[in-house]
Amino acid sequence: MFIVDYIKTVYNSVTSLLKGMRMTGYYFFNHKEIITQQYPDVKQELPERFRGEVVMLHDEKNEHRCTGCTACELACPNATIKIVTKQELQPDGKKKKALDTFVYHLELCTMCNLCIVACPTDAIKMAQTFEHSVFDRNQLTKKLNAPGSKLMEGVE
Amino acid sequence: MISLEHISQSIHETLSASLNATLVLLIEMAIAGVLVISLFAVLGLVLVFMERKVSAYMQIRLGPNRVGYKGFAQTAADTLKLLIKEGLTPDGADKFLFNLAPLLVIIVAMLIMAPIAFTKGFQLWDINIGVLYVSAVSSVGVIGILMAGWASNNKYSLLGAMRSGAQIVSYELSAGLSVLTIVILVGSLSINDIIASQQNGWWIFKGHIPVLISFVIFVIAVTAETNRAPFDLAEAESELTAGFHTEYSGMRFALFFLAEYVNIFIVCAIGATLFFGGWMPFHIGSWEAFNHVMDFIPGIVWFFAKVFALIFLIMWFRWTFPRLRIDQLLNLEWKYLLPIAMFNLLLTTVMAITGFYIK
Amino acid sequence: MAVSNIIFYLLSALIIGCGIMSVTSRQIFRSAIYLLFCMMGVAGLYFWMQYEFIAAVQIVVYVGGIVVLIIFSIFLTHRVGSDLAEPEYKRTLFAGLASLFAFLLFWSVIKRNEFFGEQSSGELSVRRIGEEMLNYKQGGFVLPFEVVSILLLAAMIGCIVIAMRAQTEKN
Repeated sequence: MFIVDYIKTVYNSVTSLLKGMRMTGYYFFNHKEIITQQYPDVKQELPERFRGEVVMLHDEKNEHRCTGCTACELACPNATIKIVTKQELQPDGKKKKALDTFVYHLELCTMCNLCIVACPTDAIKMAQTFEHSVFDRNQLTKKLNAPGSKLMEGVE
Repeated sequence: MISLEHISQSIHETLSASLNATLVLLIEMAIAGVLVISLFAVLGLVLVFMERKVSAYMQIRLGPNRVGYKGFAQTAADTLKLLIKEGLTPDGADKFLFNLAPLLVIIVAMLIMAPIAFTKGFQLWDINIGVLYVSAVSSVGVIGILMAGWASNNKYSLLGAMRSGAQIVSYELSAGLSVLTIVILVGSLSINDIIASQQNGWWIFKGHIPVLISFVIFVIAVTAETNRAPFDLAEAESELTAGFHTEYSGMRFALFFLAEYVNIFIVCAIGATLFFGGWMPFHIGSWEAFNHVMDFIPGIVWFFAKVFALIFLIMWFRWTFPRLRIDQLLNLEWKYLLPIAMFNLLLTTVMAITGFYIK
Repeated sequence: MAVSNIIFYLLSALIIGCGIMSVTSRQIFRSAIYLLFCMMGVAGLYFWMQYEFIAAVQIVVYVGGIVVLIIFSIFLTHRVGSDLAEPEYKRTLFAGLASLFAFLLFWSVIKRNEFFGEQSSGELSVRRIGEEMLNYKQGGFVLPFEVVSILLLAAMIGCIVIAMRAQTEKN
């Protein structure tokens, strides 16, 4: 029957619309669970694997673990990392390649994590900072090794 | 008790005492104009804020809460931003019509405001065809939209304007038919007569099933006529990049935006007047004591409470339902709303003749 | 009285000005908009005469209906921003002559008959209009009303027939 079908369609659509309205109405009148994060006031706990930027770890004696092997530079897909090395005189008189500057271009980085994986000495890791905005783009080019830092003892 | 009726009357008397009739008329028109414009400004601020808060609450968010106390100054700040923005006119646009369109839309909204009764004796123009006047003038608003779409010289704007025009023209029919059911029951087109007939109960209760059906049709049709979601495909942001007001910026965009919210207010005011008794307090038949208690709440409070309840209902629709496609939109109007509205009109006529409603 | 006269002349100027602009404009959409303002001016005149019902009907039918229809057909057939070609000299001449003739015709009719400016028309309520429409006695309007209804019904059926044929061809 045409009329019966017609009325059935109207009835079904009205009930389904009312179902949706009940849902939103419930949320409107039960305003408890809120998904808004009030960001600058309340900082959110970031997930453990969140990747914000590459940092180099330094211990309290201002020593890092980077040997300047350039494995990360080779692993990087878009030339974010540039490692400048120097020849350092060992106590036994031999010369040895060591890290001079670890240049990191944050503006190029895609946070792909390949450099961290490639590092044989676990010198670098991903930090959770994410407030990177600056007024000048040049400020995004960072020097990761702290001034005057040295290679940690026993790291080859 | 001081009522708005007394205030308007005393203003009229003091002016008439010292000036001649023409000047009094001009001054009163100026006062009315200032009042309407300030009402528009306040409505714009309040309704935009309300919409943002309602949408936030329905989506488990917080909404604006930074500018001013709990975010109340947010829309004022937005308006300020729009005011100081540059109003661009696109190259190749018809400049005259492009500038005229937002003005036309807002002037039409102002004109519809005229016969609305805010409380007893507080009405700009007590015209004896109030309801017909409102539906007539509201049909002019579509031309502002068409004008904006054409003058922008942009294919998205043109498409949006055409969709909007088709939508408004077709939904006007069912809105008109649902208004007619009340006109049949009251036997008058005057807004004041319609309100006075609800002295002993609002039509939504007195007229039971047919009026309820016509109320549902009215709400759907006016939601479509004001181009709001789920019928906002004329200004669908994701498909038409906001339709007819794509090219508008700054103050002219603000006028369109304001007109949208004022139109919502107006259609809800008409709905409240027709189905919920306008400023008439909630009366139940012959319960004298109860009616007296209700009379203590002033009419203007009743009016705005009803209007805002209806506005909330329309906002509820917007933040619940997904957008319709154009064919679904036209199907809904021509295959469902219009036949039902016509059948309902017939039912109401039978009901009015047989007196099968609560008097 | 003075203000009333001023309003009348303003409205008349609006109607005539927009009418002329509507005919002479080279942009078709602008013509339609001038026509709209012309119609609104006529509605304003009805309001001025306090025939509110007629005024509202004028707005519903002409502004909300016919002008919107015209605008739609412009949208579907014309390109934005393209101007119409200048009309031929001969056409302008004949159109001018035709309008001059019409003007003289109306002018002679107006001159020959007397009109009462101050005549009060009495209350023309919607109820009375409705009753007159269904009045089948002497001077009633039921016959013209029905004739017009049948004409409109025929037009509607014609539309449906045209639309239906297009549908069956496609299938």
